[in-house]
Amino acid sequence: MEKGYRAVTVADIVRRAGIARNTFYENFSSKEDCFLAASEFAVKEALRRVVDAASKVDSWPARVNAGLSAFLHYVSSEPALARTCIVEALSAGPAAVDRYERSIQAFVPLFRMGRKVSSKGEELPTTLEETIVGGIFWILYQRIIMGQTEQIEELLPELVEFALTPYLGAESAKRIAAEAPPTPTAS
Amino acid sequence: MLDLETRERAASPERERIVEALIEIAAERGYAETTVELILERAGLDRPAFDRHFRGKYDCFLSAWQEMNEGCMREMLEAYNSQDEWPDRLRAVACEIVERLSNDADRATFAVEVLAAGDAARARRDMTMRVIASLIDAGRNEMDDPESVPHTTAEALAGSAYGQVYAKVVRGQADELPNLVPQLMSAAVMPYLGIDAGLAELSRDFDPSARYGRDVAKKSSSRKSGEPNVAADDYPPELARLPPGRHGLPREFVVHNQRERLIAGLAEAIAENGYSGTTIAHITRHAAVSRRTFYEHFSSKDECFVAAYDTVMEQLQERVSAGFESTDDWPHAVRAGISAMLEFLAAEPHLARLCMVEALVAGPVVVERYDAAIQSFVPYFQTGREGRPPEVLARLSPTTEEALVGGMVSLISRRIIAGKAEDLEELLPDLVEFTLTPYLGSEEASKVAAEKD
Repeated sequence: MEKGYRAVTVADIVRRAGIARNTFYENFSSKEDCFLAASEFAVKEALRRVVDAASKVDSWPARVNAGLSAFLHYVSSEPALARTCIVEALSAGPAAVDRYERSIQAFVPLFRMGRKVSSKGEELPTTLEETIVGGIFWILYQRIIMGQTEQIEELLPELVEFALTPYLGAESAKRIAAEAPPTPTAS
Repeated sequence: MLDLETRERAASPERERIVEALIEIAAERGYAETTVELILERAGLDRPAFDRHFRGKYDCFLSAWQEMNEGCMREMLEAYNSQDEWPDRLRAVACEIVERLSNDADRATFAVEVLAAGDAARARRDMTMRVIASLIDAGRNEMDDPESVPHTTAEALAGSAYGQVYAKVVRGQADELPNLVPQLMSAAVMPYLGIDAGLAELSRDFDPSARYGRDVAKKSSSRKSGEPNVAADDYPPELARLPPGRHGLPREFVVHNQRERLIAGLAEAIAENGYSGTTIAHITRHAAVSRRTFYEHFSSKDECFVAAYDTVMEQLQERVSAGFESTDDWPHAVRAGISAMLEFLAAEPHLARLCMVEALVAGPVVVERYDAAIQSFVPYFQTGREGRPPEVLARLSPTTEEALVGGMVSLISRRIIAGKAEDLEELLPDLVEFTLTPYLGSEEASKVAAEKD
C-alpha cells in the first residue's frame, strides 16, 4: 500500500505479513483478490461506523452530517487503507474498477433515502447518488495524494453541503452543514 | 501490393504512425504486455525509427498521453467558447468529451491503460481534471452570491463524472456514454442554478452538434492554428469586462551564464514543443550551447526542468514577497503581491507556461514542488484574519486561504493554457476583489480592486 497497487508483488505482501507464500495462496487466489478483500473489509468497517453514527440522530439530513463525519474520521485515521480503496482503485486499471464501483455502491442507499425528504425526489437524476459518493471519494483521493490526510476532517461542512444540496436546496443544505455533528470518537 | 490501410499509414509521418500503433496495441493488450517490438511491427517500422522519437516504451506512452490530454484540453476550451451561457458551455464540453470517447474506443481504452505507467500518467490526467473542474466552477459567476458554493464542489463533480465515465469505458460500454450526459449535467448545474434548473437538464438530449450553435466557420477555422480560439470577450463575464492593454516590460530574464541560458532555452523549447515533445537537442539549440555543455550542468531533461522550475519559482516568490511588503496596509499589500505576480508572468509568457502549466505534467517530483509553491502563498492571505471582527472570522473556514489561492491559480492557468499569458495583468482587479471579499466584504474589496496604481 506504500508502493501503490501496480508495484506491489505477492512477495512484498507475504514478507510484510510475515507469512509463507503458501499461506497467501491458501487465502487468496491473486494479488487483486487480496486487494479486493482489503477493500471489502474497509468498506464494511466504514459502513458500520457510518450507520452507527447516523442512528444516533433522527432526521435524514442530520444523519448525513453525522455519518459523513464518522466516515471522514475513519478515512483520516486509516490513510493506508483509504489509499488502497480510493487512490489505487482509480489508477490501477481495469482489474480494480469493480472494487471502486463496489465501494461506491455500498454508500449509495444511504443517500438514496434523501429522495423521500425531497419534494423533487422522484425526478432527481438516477445517477445522483453515485455522483455524490464518487465526488466525495474524488476529493478524498486528491487530499490523500497531496499528503493532506490530517485536513480531511475539516472538509466535513463543504461535503455535507455538496451532498445535501440536490435534495434540500442550497439554503437548507448550508444550514445543516453549519451544525456540528456529534463527535465521531464517541461511538 | 500494399492494402489501403497500410498505405495510409505509410503516408503519415513516422512519429504519428508509432503513436497510432501504440494506442492500438495498448488498447488490445494493456500496458504491461505492450512492447516496442509489437508497436514497430504494427507500424511497419524499425527500431532506429522508434529511437529517433522516443527513449523507450514508458516515454512513448507518456508522450502519447500528454498529446492526448493537450488535444482534449484544446477541444474542451473550444467547445466551451462555442456557447454564450454557462450551462450551454458546460454541456458543449460534456458532449465533446463523450463524443470523442464513444467514437474512438481505442483511445478511450488507452486512456485507462496508460494509468499503469504510474504517477506521471496520473498527474497528467489530474491536470486535465483540474481544468474541467475550473470550467464547472465558472457556474458560480451566474449566482447572486458567487462565494456561496464551496470550492470543492466543482472538484467533486468533475471527479465523480470521471469515475462514472471511466467505469463505462473499462466495461466496454462507451456507447452508453451519451445517456450519461444529461445525468451528469443535471448534478453539475444544481449547486449553482438550483434544483429546478438541474432537473431541466434531464430532458435535454445529447447533442454534440449543439456546440457549434454560434459562428461555426469562425470556430472551426481556428483548429489548424493549434491554439484554442479564445478571444477576451469569450471569457466568463467577470473576466471580459476588463479593459484591454498590456504594459510592456523589458525582458528581465536576462541570461548571463550557461546554466541560465540552458534554463531559458528549456523554457523556449517547451513553449514550442510541450514538455514531452522537448528533446535535449531543442534545448541546446535555443540556448546556443553544445550538447556537451548541457551534460556538464544537467544529467537529463528532467533535471534541467526541475532546475528551471526552482529558478522561476524563486524569482516569482521574491517578486510577490517584495510587493506584499511594500506597504503595511494588508489589503493593499495583497493587491501589490498579486500585481507583482501577474506582471512577472505576463512579461515572461514562456516561464509562466513552464511553472504554471507544464509543471503539472512533468512528473511527480515537480508536481510536489508545484503544490509546495502554491501553499507558500497561503500565509499572505492568512495575515488578513488579524484584527477582523468576530462575525467575519466566523464566516471564514480553515480552508478559505487554500481555496483563494487555488481559485486564483486556476484562473491564471486557464489564461496561460489559452495562450493569453501576456494579458494576465487584466485579471488584477478581479483577483483582488475575489481574494479580499471574504475578509473585507464585497463593497470594500471592490473599492481596493478598482483603485488605479
